[in-house]
Amino acid sequence: MDELMTARSLTTRPVVTLGGDAIAHVRDTLFDAEARWITGFTLTGRRLLSGPLPHALPWPSVHALGHDAVMLRDALGLIPEDALTGHRGSLRARVLGARMLTEAGEAIGTVADVVVEGGTSGRIVGFRIAADQRLVPGRSGHRRRVYVARGPSLTVAGRTLVLPEETVRHLADDLAGLTALTRGVRGPGGGGGTDTGPGAPP
Amino acid sequence: MMLLTEVYGLPVTGPDGRTRLGTVASLSVDAGAGTVRQVRVRRGPFRKEAAVSWDAVRSVGPDGVRLRADAAADAPRRPRDLLGSLVLTEAGRERGRVLDAAVAPETGRVLAVFTTRGELPPARLLGLGDHALVVRSG
Repeated sequence: MDELMTARSLTTRPVVTLGGDAIAHVRDTLFDAEARWITGFTLTGRRLLSGPLPHALPWPSVHALGHDAVMLRDALGLIPEDALTGHRGSLRARVLGARMLTEAGEAIGTVADVVVEGGTSGRIVGFRIAADQRLVPGRSGHRRRVYVARGPSLTVAGRTLVLPEETVRHLADDLAGLTALTRGVRGPGGGGGTDTGPGAPP
Repeated sequence: MMLLTEVYGLPVTGPDGRTRLGTVASLSVDAGAGTVRQVRVRRGPFRKEAAVSWDAVRSVGPDGVRLRADAAADAPRRPRDLLGSLVLTEAGRERGRVLDAAVAPETGRVLAVFTTRGELPPARLLGLGDHALVVRSG
């Protein structure tokens, strides 16, 4: 599995062609309606005071999502932003702060960030959540940030994400822990592996 | 074999080796093709730069770069200096910076690129742009 990264960390990451030219910076990351895959990126100009660009980068034009840059084959892969976002706007904006529940209706927390896999897959592998006190007991008034794998059975219902209980049983403290979780490695007392393969990209 | 850092600053002369035309400001490298394309010559009291195609170079030595008799100014490419460039893999991960490069003076072929993270063979070079030298992941 390639390196995991949060969607927030992608903002301001340079967009670079294989010819070595930086053509933009990432402004926002767009996902499909089921929060399975990255569908593309909206962009800003490269200069400090540059505003949003009218063009967006669709995922099929991405060569690789890297630790230091988003690589694309050439600038011809950009399309008008409206063609990518339509009227839905950014799903990330809708997912951030969304409630997360188990299938039994128990509150897990709220989504603080989306975790994606680097490389060529564009896969969403999990979420960083501000955990509910019942899920992760901690100091009063303090909501611990933990990572939970997306799993194959997540349901998106408006501003609510619903996860199976099995998925919520295994949490990670950081991205390294989530990487281990999604690879099926469990800590002491853990259960079986978490299936993270949501299928082939669209 | 010559190093780019050895060529920078050398005098550029006409075919007789005595008529001084300026000094080498930089070499424009086509990373995808793995060759030097142009010599950028700095000349005059205002240090203006002109570009000359590598094909117009007759010889390169420690004494300077000698041009052919039929050498003419070339349309300048965007100045992209290989030296000091950020190295970025096609997977989007930084891999240090370019320190120097070895070039065959007869052909202008890049033989190797030396970076802060080691040596790169020319077969790994993909492109040199305003942001980075992009290389194949190895």
